[in-house]
Amino acid sequence: MAGRVPSAGPGVPSAPGAGPAPGVGRVAVPGRGPRVGLTAQQRAQRRLGWLLCAPAVVVIVAVAGYPIGYAVYLSLRRYDLRFPAQSSFVGLGNYATVLGSSLWWKALAVTVVITVVSVVVEFVLGMALALVMHRAVVGRGLVRTVILIPYGIVTVVAAFGWQYAWTPGTGYLSGLFGDAAPLTSQTWGVAVIVAAEVWKTTPFMALLLLAGLALVPDELLRAARVDGAGPWARFTRVMVPLMKPAILVALLFRVLDAFRIFDNIYVLTGGSYDTRSVSILGYDNLFTALNLGVGSSLSVLIFLVVALVAFVFVKGFGTAAPGGEREAGR
Amino acid sequence: MVTGTVVVVAGPRPRWRVRRSGGVAGLLSGRGGRCLSGGRSAGGGRRRAGRGRVGLVAAVCAVVGLVGCASSGPARGPVTVRWYVYDESSGSFAKAAADCSAASRGAYRIAISVLPNDADGQRAQLVRRLAAEDSSMDVLALDVTWTAEFAEAGWIVPFDAASARAITAGTLPVAVRTGSWRGRLYAAPLNTNVQLLWYRKDLVARPPVTWAQMLAQARALAAAGKPHLVEVQGAQYEGYTVLFNSLVASAGGSILSADGSRVELGEPARRAVEAIAALAHSGAADPSWSNQREDDNRLAFETGSAAFQLNYPFIYPSARANAPDLVDRIGWAQWPSLVAGRPSHTTVGGYNLAVSSYSRHPGQARAAIGCLRSRANQIRTAVDGGLAPTLEALYSDRAFIEGGYPFAAAIYAALRHASVRPQTPAYQSVSLQIADRLSPPGSASVSALGGLRGAIEDALDSKGLVP
Amino acid sequence: MTTVAAGGATSDRATSDRAAGGRGRGGGRGRGGGRRGSAVSGWVAVNTVIVVVSLVPLAWLVSLSFKTPASVGDGHFVPRHWTWENYRGIFDASLFTRALVNSIGIALISTVLAVAVGAMAAYAVARLVFPGRRLLVGLALLIAMFPQISLVSPLFNLWRQIGIFDTWIGLIVPYLTFSLPLAIYTLSAFFREIPRDLERAAAVDGATPWQAFTRVIVPLAAPGMVTTAILVFIFCWNDFLFAISLTSTESSRTVPAAIAFFTGASQFAQPIGSIAAAAVVITIPIIVFVLVFQRRIVAGLTSGAVKG
Repeated sequence: MAGRVPSAGPGVPSAPGAGPAPGVGRVAVPGRGPRVGLTAQQRAQRRLGWLLCAPAVVVIVAVAGYPIGYAVYLSLRRYDLRFPAQSSFVGLGNYATVLGSSLWWKALAVTVVITVVSVVVEFVLGMALALVMHRAVVGRGLVRTVILIPYGIVTVVAAFGWQYAWTPGTGYLSGLFGDAAPLTSQTWGVAVIVAAEVWKTTPFMALLLLAGLALVPDELLRAARVDGAGPWARFTRVMVPLMKPAILVALLFRVLDAFRIFDNIYVLTGGSYDTRSVSILGYDNLFTALNLGVGSSLSVLIFLVVALVAFVFVKGFGTAAPGGEREAGR
Repeated sequence: MVTGTVVVVAGPRPRWRVRRSGGVAGLLSGRGGRCLSGGRSAGGGRRRAGRGRVGLVAAVCAVVGLVGCASSGPARGPVTVRWYVYDESSGSFAKAAADCSAASRGAYRIAISVLPNDADGQRAQLVRRLAAEDSSMDVLALDVTWTAEFAEAGWIVPFDAASARAITAGTLPVAVRTGSWRGRLYAAPLNTNVQLLWYRKDLVARPPVTWAQMLAQARALAAAGKPHLVEVQGAQYEGYTVLFNSLVASAGGSILSADGSRVELGEPARRAVEAIAALAHSGAADPSWSNQREDDNRLAFETGSAAFQLNYPFIYPSARANAPDLVDRIGWAQWPSLVAGRPSHTTVGGYNLAVSSYSRHPGQARAAIGCLRSRANQIRTAVDGGLAPTLEALYSDRAFIEGGYPFAAAIYAALRHASVRPQTPAYQSVSLQIADRLSPPGSASVSALGGLRGAIEDALDSKGLVP
Repeated sequence: MTTVAAGGATSDRATSDRAAGGRGRGGGRGRGGGRRGSAVSGWVAVNTVIVVVSLVPLAWLVSLSFKTPASVGDGHFVPRHWTWENYRGIFDASLFTRALVNSIGIALISTVLAVAVGAMAAYAVARLVFPGRRLLVGLALLIAMFPQISLVSPLFNLWRQIGIFDTWIGLIVPYLTFSLPLAIYTLSAFFREIPRDLERAAAVDGATPWQAFTRVIVPLAAPGMVTTAILVFIFCWNDFLFAISLTSTESSRTVPAAIAFFTGASQFAQPIGSIAAAAVVITIPIIVFVLVFQRRIVAGLTSGAVKG
């Protein structure tokens, strides 16, 4: 990667994300040396690292540790609030129940489709928006403020608005498809859900990408142009590599969220016509059926799928990922 | 809109008056100075299996009185009875709570803890607290379908025989059925609800009696280029289960056996599905039918595109407010039947009041329930809030009829024939399965019934996933 | 996108209202000046599209909020009969006004805490070498991935036992927790882009690592901090699940939860007018928040001269 970045001159000591920076830093930076016999500075760094992380770790473990552990425990039991007498340990039985049900696989497929389509669309739109916000000559403040409004609206309320809008008779959008009611078929239902999701969360993507763009040094782009790189080359070879960490965060967190989509579906279709996501399924089993055993195993399975996706992502982005090997020892 | 938590404090009263009122009421009920324990024992009420027959009015006083007696122990000031209930929009619940607190003469004060507006949200909050054995809950407002579930989980205590007799006397039998589980009364009917067939008098000369007639009339109207749609709930949710239940009952069957242990369905279910399919393919169904709930039906009817609507009476005051030129053209009749010559059996709705197992004041809670569903309070809730009362006598009461229920007689007739949704602790799962297997209405087919039977059987055993 | 990139960094910066510290002004103006007219109209067109797409659905909610109950279902984009009744209704009751106060307070405190705690952890992750670094990163991601619906009931029980159920703290703590993953990831992505030379220079000047963090890194990472703050604020502002599960009275109920308590004219009627009005009202603080912090983003960008 470093080779593709046009020589940036002495003004740009470290091209982040684009490989090790030339020059002074490497030798002097602690952490590269042999592990044995920590220097005083290394020890101080360790202590500071732990101190700085302590609040976050304490909060995370204290608040999320017990509930997550409890959910895992429940997932191994037959535990239905309506039949308290029948509680017992069933091992992986609940998981077998879920994995053996066509409801789970259908919901998983719908969720994957919604996640992939909405995140891809959001990424493209979000990148375009970020570039517009970054480069706009006029009305930059206006655009930056306005695009955040969809993200700021409470999802459930926005979904109510969409539901009214798409329903024949009460809405302005339903006419787009003649007399049909778009929310009454799987294809159109999913399409409307994706549209609502994209409208709502593209700003999230755009804002993160914009912040990433802000870190791309103009000098580098200028140098690239001097070297004869066209706009597309400058975008793909200079900007995108430099934005990789921001892109990773934006994509990763959007995927995590999109995969657990709930509010929009709950209001728009209620999960009918096989527009049910895995979270809707989890809600029905946990909150409606009060079957905490099966519901918890659903939650754990959702978690495992998401974790797998996240793992692939982080691996795919390699050193751009936080905690990756490179940056701390650079 | 009423504030989040209405705490109604009864004014301070001299202690002797509390005692005296207890005494008087006690005399009426023939129970002297016996006190309720007021303790946390859930079985307290059960053990005091009552003696002596008491009339409704006497019973209300009796419970109130007994509580007065109970609270005259070491406790200072009135005991707080916490009532978990949704926020009735006219504020009639808050007024009832205030009046009852005052009428208890210091025995208790009812503090309302407001629950969310939708039934699922209410249930989620109640269940979460009950599972945590929250002792701050005394009186619970329960949807009619939750009785078996809450009773079986041990979250609510049944009324003792005397209280149960007092509650059931003069109360609509169908409403009592919704509050009962395994032969005991767990929840006292607060208000009820039932659907009617609403139709446009300017379009329909004689309201249809059967489902087939309704569809035929709709077709004729469509051919004449007039508003012809039939508005009925079709989204995949509880309301669609209600529709199915009404149709199955009207065809002479039921979804589950009376004790909730076996799946029935059978021929009546087949006829019910055929009725849904007939509407779906008649051209009279709303294009959005498969995504419509009660309020969507009301809106569509108010826009004037429909000739028929199967819905609850709330649509009438709503039309008066929102579509005044339409309201005089709205007629009402019994829900269409499926079997010629036999009445329809629509599904009963409404709310009941139960005492939490974890209440520290079950005696006062029972007393409060007696008062909250008193005649005066039911009339106010009906007139101000439009919720149908559960006391039979009110259906010939002028204050009620003229207070906005011109169709009281029709409601009463429907309630006399009304059916109850399957009574089982697993009702929510059963309902989810029904709504899922028969959705969307356009593709509901008899062939789905086999799968539905198996799905309901699994749901009864809490096996497998629910959709 | 191609056009956008071709617009060129220098000309934009030169014509923008930001003082870019003189950076890049030289040749930019001349080249950009000739195309300025068409560029401006192009931007106006692009901006218009963005604004319209962003705002039309909001305008629909505004429209619903001004409709009378009789016309809420008529499907017209512009109300035929305007009414303030929905707004009067929600402001008449303490249900909404108290919730508004709670929402603002809880979201602000949670945001400040999350950004502070997140920044410390993110700095450690991005810059320091210590055992357990990757563990923290994994842990943070883990709690961001677990479905929250199965976490609320245990939290409800826990909160009641330790007595913070239905308090501000009771919401601030989970908001802090569940926004930390995003905060840590976002902030560490920004911290690592800040040249190390600056810290080194600070160290040479005798600054401790902590001083380097607070005096050098944090100010430089302002765009990232502000971005994170906005995202965290909106996350707390919009949360429904925790708000409905961990509160029971007006003392801590936030607006999204309060909306679930709105009542229509009857049991079945959706109070869509009130809901829309509430949605419109609670969008205003978001706009204010963003407007206030926009300045910080801009300031952060211009101070970025040190990067070069």
